[in-house]
Amino acid sequence: MVALVIALALFFDFTNGFHDTANAMATPIATGAIKPKTAVTLAAVLNLVGAFLSTEVAKTVSGGIIREGSDGVQITPDIIFAGLMGAILWNMITWLKGLPSSSSHALFGGLIGAAIAGIGFNSVNLETLLQKVILPAIFAPLIAGIVAYICTRLAYALTARHDPDTGSKLTQKRGGFRTGQIFTSSLVALAHGTNDAQKTMGIITLVLIAAGTQAPGSGPQFWVIAACAIAIAVGTYAGGWRIIRTMGSGLTEVKPAQGFAAESSTASAILASSHLGFALSTTQVASGSVIGSGMGRKGTTVRWNMVGKIALGWLFTLPAAGIVGALTALLVKTGVVGVLIAAVAGTAAVLFMFFYSRKSQVGHHNAVEVEEAGQAVRFAKKKALARARAKARAARSNAEAPTEDAVEAPVEANEQKDSQR
Amino acid sequence: MKWLELLTVAGTTLVAAVTVVVLYSLGVRLTAIAGDAEQASPRAKRSLAYICFGLCGIAVLFGLYLIIPYFSK
Repeated sequence: MVALVIALALFFDFTNGFHDTANAMATPIATGAIKPKTAVTLAAVLNLVGAFLSTEVAKTVSGGIIREGSDGVQITPDIIFAGLMGAILWNMITWLKGLPSSSSHALFGGLIGAAIAGIGFNSVNLETLLQKVILPAIFAPLIAGIVAYICTRLAYALTARHDPDTGSKLTQKRGGFRTGQIFTSSLVALAHGTNDAQKTMGIITLVLIAAGTQAPGSGPQFWVIAACAIAIAVGTYAGGWRIIRTMGSGLTEVKPAQGFAAESSTASAILASSHLGFALSTTQVASGSVIGSGMGRKGTTVRWNMVGKIALGWLFTLPAAGIVGALTALLVKTGVVGVLIAAVAGTAAVLFMFFYSRKSQVGHHNAVEVEEAGQAVRFAKKKALARARAKARAARSNAEAPTEDAVEAPVEANEQKDSQR
Repeated sequence: MKWLELLTVAGTTLVAAVTVVVLYSLGVRLTAIAGDAEQASPRAKRSLAYICFGLCGIAVLFGLYLIIPYFSK
């Protein structure tokens, strides 16, 4: 059972990684600051580094929401198994829909559902739940959004160049932000590593303590840290392209200066929150930042339709993962057979979603269409260069793959079908 | 409720993000000015721009220094 839970926890870490690549790398990919493949590699490496940097969060994970200790109940590996099942399934569903949703909320939801079904309603500490999950869920996007809005305004105000005599606009030369984005997005990836890999470490440590192989109150062991770091890095490298598409171009069109502002607010919000004790969800902070920066630039529209969809996804995260967790907990209660059924059903569901996703593939090649035309207009010098490059590319693609558009078309058709459903 | 902590987080986020963005924007602006054709002292502007980028980098590194427990022991 313990081995099974650890495997499941590592798989959750993997889904967490590819679910959250978007937070760090969607905006630089959208503005063309980093090539998609390079971006996910960078994010993976930084996640790996981040996971090793600090284990502060691991020590406090899930503490308090489910009453532990003498007056409460004992968390058993069974409960954790059920909770992880709920979290993983919800992560897969939101990924399939391309919705950025919080992996940590999915985990909390799964654990809560499992605890209610497995132990009883009194096992959940409502006040802590409100304080640790629901309030941050409201304030994370708010704080990040407002800060990103201010930063975007500032960035544009500081770099707006007008001719002092005529008052007409000069070339703005904001290309420097593109380079800056590489650093800010790296910072977000690092922050993600210090934050999210910890949660799995905490879970595995909890299981080991519950199984009696580790002394209570001790921190995560080295092999646990290493395994979690690798799992999240591999997941990040796999890349959740569907979510990258939503974050990079679904919410609002992102220009380099906006992306820079959004990422610096995301990074500071995550790092500040996780080290001052008011944990905010990475995904919610990142989404809030992108929306805020979209509102900060004149002439940009935020697609509120999409924002509503994402918010709805957040609302459902806790109960949906909770229900799956609860069902799994009930199955597990019945004994070994139940555990087997749950494991097989979970694997089958994950595999089904994976194959279903193959029908309309979203990969690094088509996640975000980089707006090269806009880039060419903005920077006079690069205009000629870009034109030459485009011409060369057109010639090449004509020679090699004459029907690139035809390949793209079915993908688009599939998507329309999806949205109609 | 942890309203105070919430406020601290919001404040820190704002200060950190604004510092980074302002410094970097200034750097970008100065680089742009230095690149103009009829500029009196492009070299001074450019070095000022680099100072801004440098300060920005230092601000980020200082933030990391505060966060990584290895250093703050």
